[in-house]
Amino acid sequence: MTVIGLRLALLALLLAIWEIAGRLVNPLLGVPPSAVVPALRDLLLLRSYPDLPASILLTLREIGAAYALAVAAGLACGFMLGMHRLAGRAWGPMLAALYAVPAVVWYPSLMLFFGLDAASKIAFGFLLGFFPIALAVLAGIRQVNPQLVVVARAYGAGTVTVFRRVMLPAMLFTLVGGLRTGLALCVIGVVVGEILGSKAGMGALINHAYGLLRTADYVALVLVTLVMVVGSDVLASLLERRARRWTE
Amino acid sequence: MKVRALQLGTVIIALGSWELAARMGWVDPLFVPAPSAIVPALMRISGGALAGLADTLGKAAVAYVLSVVLGVSAGIAVGSVRLLREVLSPYVIALYGIPKILVLPWIVLLLGYGTTPAVFYGVLHGFFPIMVLVMGAVRDVDRTLVTVARSLGATTWQLYWKVLLPAIVPSVLGGMRLGVVFCLLGVLVVEMFAGVRGMGYVLGSYANGFQAPELFAATALVSAASITIVLALDHLNEKLSRWRG
Repeated sequence: MTVIGLRLALLALLLAIWEIAGRLVNPLLGVPPSAVVPALRDLLLLRSYPDLPASILLTLREIGAAYALAVAAGLACGFMLGMHRLAGRAWGPMLAALYAVPAVVWYPSLMLFFGLDAASKIAFGFLLGFFPIALAVLAGIRQVNPQLVVVARAYGAGTVTVFRRVMLPAMLFTLVGGLRTGLALCVIGVVVGEILGSKAGMGALINHAYGLLRTADYVALVLVTLVMVVGSDVLASLLERRARRWTE
Repeated sequence: MKVRALQLGTVIIALGSWELAARMGWVDPLFVPAPSAIVPALMRISGGALAGLADTLGKAAVAYVLSVVLGVSAGIAVGSVRLLREVLSPYVIALYGIPKILVLPWIVLLLGYGTTPAVFYGVLHGFFPIMVLVMGAVRDVDRTLVTVARSLGATTWQLYWKVLLPAIVPSVLGGMRLGVVFCLLGVLVVEMFAGVRGMGYVLGSYANGFQAPELFAATALVSAASITIVLALDHLNEKLSRWRG
């Protein structure tokens, strides 16, 4: 109880500091919370940016497409490398080495190749989401106790049964974690892509507000985007909890 | 042996089919140049690109040192005081998770173009993963060790120095391994978004100028540099953990 009270007190303190500091500095740079509220109202009533719903929809669609591709390719690649020992030992480290490159270095090439529209954002979101999913599948398969597989086989279980009854429960914990990380990174990839260069979507609106020094609108747009980001993670965590309950 | 051959074979086949696709005109060389066109481009750009890379790595190094120092000390401070940890951890996790790119425009407004926003944003990326890891490690230090040390009359200073610190070394190293990529990422993003120097700016300007061979060469250069750094850190990590026993 006291912990929650202290947390709220800290939040209030931070907001108060922000309010005071925001009033002191140049209004083009600092926006106190009291100025954000009307900006947020104007934004949500579609006064400042009438194309907000379309932008939200576009960004969500980009995220959806990127995540669908990342899940499909990540699972396929992870299982392929995990099931074949030699392939896993050869290509696993290569995958991990590519993961060590800060992914944003690929973005200019993707932008050149796919253009400024949604495709380059989807490609970048896919690129970010793919690696944690593929690597989680690989790690999950390593966690499966091979003796359990042998025993199940000896008792006459087919490939599908072995997968469903032995492997999946053993690796689900890691797999679902990877899927959740993958979603978070897909979201980040799409948002980063949009802010680094786009013509439509939330990132384009944010860049527009920033470029015109409409700082209050900018903060309001960031808050709306944050709600989308946090919302997607809450959704993922609910699914994660469900999946974990299923294994127990 | 077989593994190495397969790895080498993959790279050769990938480069070969890429070259073939470019030669046969299956991909537009304006957007995807052949590997044989990238090598001369690498020679062409090496002067400017190496200067840009040095600039980027310099900023990333400053950001990295700051991230490690601040992240480890904040992680120890917050992790070892229970009340502090319980109050702050949701905020720390939230700040770790949100896309930091959203505050980048504001950072650029505030700090301008140049080195400061790049270092600041790099620290923003590197600090949280290190702090979260160290915080967790401090929390999970065996309570028995602390109790025994206390009952044998260890001072607080000794407790931190002789019990806590050795116990969290693996997590600190893990955080350092993770943080380096994040710092580099942060610096590159700032340079792409609002840079006038550095590798991110170089990449962005080649993309805007449709100089695909130069862009691919520069991308390969940064990738190679970052893979080298991470592999070197891994190697160091392995040596250190062998030394710890």
